[in-house]
Amino acid sequence: MAKTLSSSQIFLQGLWNDNPVLRQILGICSTLAVTNLLVNTLVMNAGLIFTVAMSSLTVSILRNYTPMKIRMMAQTLIIASYVIIVDIAIAAYLPDISEALGPYVGLIITNCIVMGRCEAYAKNNPPWPAFLDGLAMSLGYAAVLLIIAVIREPLGFGTLLGYRVMPEGFTPWTIMIMAPGAFFTLGLFAWFVRARFPQSAEEKKRGQ
Amino acid sequence: MKKRLYSIVFMFVLTFFFAAAVSAVKVYNEERIQTNQQVKLQRIILKVLGTPVKEKAPNREVIQTFEKRVKPIEVKRRALYVGYSEDGRSITGYAFSIGGSGFWGPVYGMVSVDPEASRILGIAFYRHSETPGLGARITEPWFTRQFKGLSVFPVEGDKKIFYLKPAGPGKGSNELDAITGATGTSRAVEAFVNRDLDRFLRETWRQMKRE
Repeated sequence: MAKTLSSSQIFLQGLWNDNPVLRQILGICSTLAVTNLLVNTLVMNAGLIFTVAMSSLTVSILRNYTPMKIRMMAQTLIIASYVIIVDIAIAAYLPDISEALGPYVGLIITNCIVMGRCEAYAKNNPPWPAFLDGLAMSLGYAAVLLIIAVIREPLGFGTLLGYRVMPEGFTPWTIMIMAPGAFFTLGLFAWFVRARFPQSAEEKKRGQ
Repeated sequence: MKKRLYSIVFMFVLTFFFAAAVSAVKVYNEERIQTNQQVKLQRIILKVLGTPVKEKAPNREVIQTFEKRVKPIEVKRRALYVGYSEDGRSITGYAFSIGGSGFWGPVYGMVSVDPEASRILGIAFYRHSETPGLGARITEPWFTRQFKGLSVFPVEGDKKIFYLKPAGPGKGSNELDAITGATGTSRAVEAFVNRDLDRFLRETWRQMKRE
């Protein structure tokens, strides 16, 4: 069994040292898709945080009863259930955002971060640290998405959360709304963080 | 053997539990989700019929207004929404669904014509997957407003009811501004709106006049 980390260590790992998007380059598909409007990003983040934290918690509670051979199947079932619950809740209470997010909420099921945390951490650790780990990792994901959205929405639409922030006469950069804009923003951002604050030996070598 | 049996039982119990939980959430919210969809359509219909409700108006208000001002009927198995005036005595227009392939995926919309079926009252597109900032501008007021008052009878010698042309001066009465940078979407919209208007006039409207 892996050594149990303290809460603050877990949060430092998820938010910075092991940030899923910047360091592990996981969950890129949804990062590209939902970051052109800040409000969509916020809802997507809430959905992911709930799913990762709850899935990690559930997988951890069941870790001593789950047969090793079928653990992936059990994890998928658990993750899918939470995602469908999130999807239903958004459709019921935030219909406009549900429409805008389209299939991306459902696609949380296949988001590598969720199963990655179940496999890498939750299945070998007690429930409370597993829950915190899920929370920290998804907050790390959420933080990166928020930063990207705060860059993309003003440049692409001239607004932030729907309020006009760019000066009158600003020509929106259409490319920022589309997937390529996200690729550029994320790529530059990840490069900056990894080069400026290298963590792993590989990052250190490449940053030179 | 015992191990295998345990695996099966474990998975069965787990599936049973989560399926039950998800079903419960679904059943509990079903009505709300359906109301949301219904209200969304009603808002669009009221909007194209020229009796819009406020954007922030609660669902209940939308349903009430809809019930008072709109009567859904069916002509030749196609849904038609008849708009009535405030006092409910005279007909203000007819609304019906339009839709077709856009540039990236299907586009759904609603259009309405005046009681004589001679001019367009309003048009709205409410579901599409066009490029934000380009093709998706079909939902913007400057684009949809152009259709208001457009005659549904083609100009002498023309096949189409209207054309979407690059923005600029010197246009005929049946030439509207296309969206710059979204030629594909503009062409697609021109094609299916023309087709659906034409079909309404030839089939639905003809049937109604006969009745």
